[in-house]
Amino acid sequence: MALLQVKNLTKKFGGLTAVKDVSFDVAPGEIVGLIGPNGAGKTTVFNWMTGIIPKDDGHIILDGREITGLPAYRRSLVGIGRTFQVVRPFEMTVLENVMAPALARTKNTTHARQKASAVLAMMGLDDLAHAAPGSLTLAQRKRIEVARALATNPKLLLLDEVLAGLNPTEVAQNLPLIRQVRDRGVTIIFIEHLMDAMMSVSERVLVMDQGALIATGTPAEVTNDECVIKAYLGEEAPQC
Amino acid sequence: MKPNLRYWLGAPAFLILLLIPWFFQSTFVLHMHTLIFFYIALTAVWNIPAFGGKLSLGHAAFFGIGAYTATILYVKYGITPWLGLLAALVVSMLGGLVMTLPLIRLRGPFFTLASIAFAEVLRMIAIDWRSLTNGSVGINIPFKPAWINMTFQGGKPFYYMSLILAVGIVWLTYRLKNSALGFHLRAAASDEEAAQALGINTSRAHFIALMWSSGLTGAIGVFYVFYIYVLEPHTIFSLDLFSLQPALNGIIGGMGTISGPVIGAILMTPLGEFLRFYLGTIQQGLNYVVYGLVLIATVKFIPGGIVSLLTPIIKRTPGRKKIPLSGQVEAR
Repeated sequence: MALLQVKNLTKKFGGLTAVKDVSFDVAPGEIVGLIGPNGAGKTTVFNWMTGIIPKDDGHIILDGREITGLPAYRRSLVGIGRTFQVVRPFEMTVLENVMAPALARTKNTTHARQKASAVLAMMGLDDLAHAAPGSLTLAQRKRIEVARALATNPKLLLLDEVLAGLNPTEVAQNLPLIRQVRDRGVTIIFIEHLMDAMMSVSERVLVMDQGALIATGTPAEVTNDECVIKAYLGEEAPQC
Repeated sequence: MKPNLRYWLGAPAFLILLLIPWFFQSTFVLHMHTLIFFYIALTAVWNIPAFGGKLSLGHAAFFGIGAYTATILYVKYGITPWLGLLAALVVSMLGGLVMTLPLIRLRGPFFTLASIAFAEVLRMIAIDWRSLTNGSVGINIPFKPAWINMTFQGGKPFYYMSLILAVGIVWLTYRLKNSALGFHLRAAASDEEAAQALGINTSRAHFIALMWSSGLTGAIGVFYVFYIYVLEPHTIFSLDLFSLQPALNGIIGGMGTISGPVIGAILMTPLGEFLRFYLGTIQQGLNYVVYGLVLIATVKFIPGGIVSLLTPIIKRTPGRKKIPLSGQVEAR
């Protein structure tokens, strides 16, 4: 059975329909890439799924349970973790940043500290535990963002451009993390503009353009899809 | 500051404070210390919502509710102020509840403005509800020295009570700040949306913080009114004495920190008294001009408060440094 079902999601901002009638399923343990040109509505889908923007229309079902009406913090508690495109570390040390979400699940600071330390070790951030995030590189802060989301024990992790803005060396360092996280039992949907990275990691790709889902399939299928080529390059493709 | 250092500095300071009443007989010295301790406690509880970034300028409301509750219970019904203290705690919390429910979703300056209005409304109620509060005339607390009446001959008992109150409350805020609630508040202060996306119920955290803060402020109000014997709406709901003063202490010392309120109260209380006595007599309101200048200078030159000058640079402005975009060698 699907871990996640999104049904008929529609979101309007004033007169602009940012997302229209998007439906998709994600199976447990999948790594799904979400791509599309700028303004296609990818981040809006994430924001709606995590409850940060209110619903217009549509349903979201996680693990067989309808969570459409839940506020943002409840969605995190039922198992949807996310990172933000623009990193948003709290003004506290790296360790405390990762402890904060753990403390939304336990009141015990000792347990939360252990949990946070374990996540930091897994992310290769243990040396930086007591640093202030503001003093770190973007690549490191993106890792903190992922670490923080992992400390929520997500079933489903939404990664919003965790590779954007990194240099090729950093991309090579951060990319294996995505598989590593999945291998620990977390299902992943990620938005990415770096096509090479996207294609090498994702098992299935969803393509959005102008708010609609225009194609879905394996990376190879999608790159040969006429509609996708049109969306990216603007070529003639009458059937789209 | 390392914990060790904190104890090495804190323990002797506490001992000296315990001994002061035995070496200085002057009423002025005792009174000034008592007042400083009151303000440390008041600023520290004001600071609890400030962990979550909520700046209240209406704490006189809770201070007044607490003071009125215990005084009315004592003067009209003969109930000991020690029980009145508990009642004050509860009633101030209810006051906090009434204020908080409509305000909790207001952010930034809107919350602050609404909190001022709340305190002013209560002052008006205290003036107009004569049958209960005796209006503008206020209520005098009869001088019957006894422990049970929280009334004492001489200033020593209140000196020690306020000292214990200050130490206890600062310790409590330290515990709060390092608890799960403290983390939730600090996360919410940094980024409300990100905190929610990580599973933190920020509204609940702000609410609990305001409950702690309003209840304890009411309790401090009880001690204060039994210290000065007079309950009068213009003083007890005073915007500048009990709303602005703790906020100023907190901002100048360092909002959202543990030692900030202590440092702020120690520096600003004597300054405030001095200015009120000397400048206030030259030209009414002149003391506030000086206050305003101090505040502007603090916010302009040391936005993190005095505490930020004492902590290592790396911890001072996390997240505000220049952001290196890429190409930096990893620090490992």
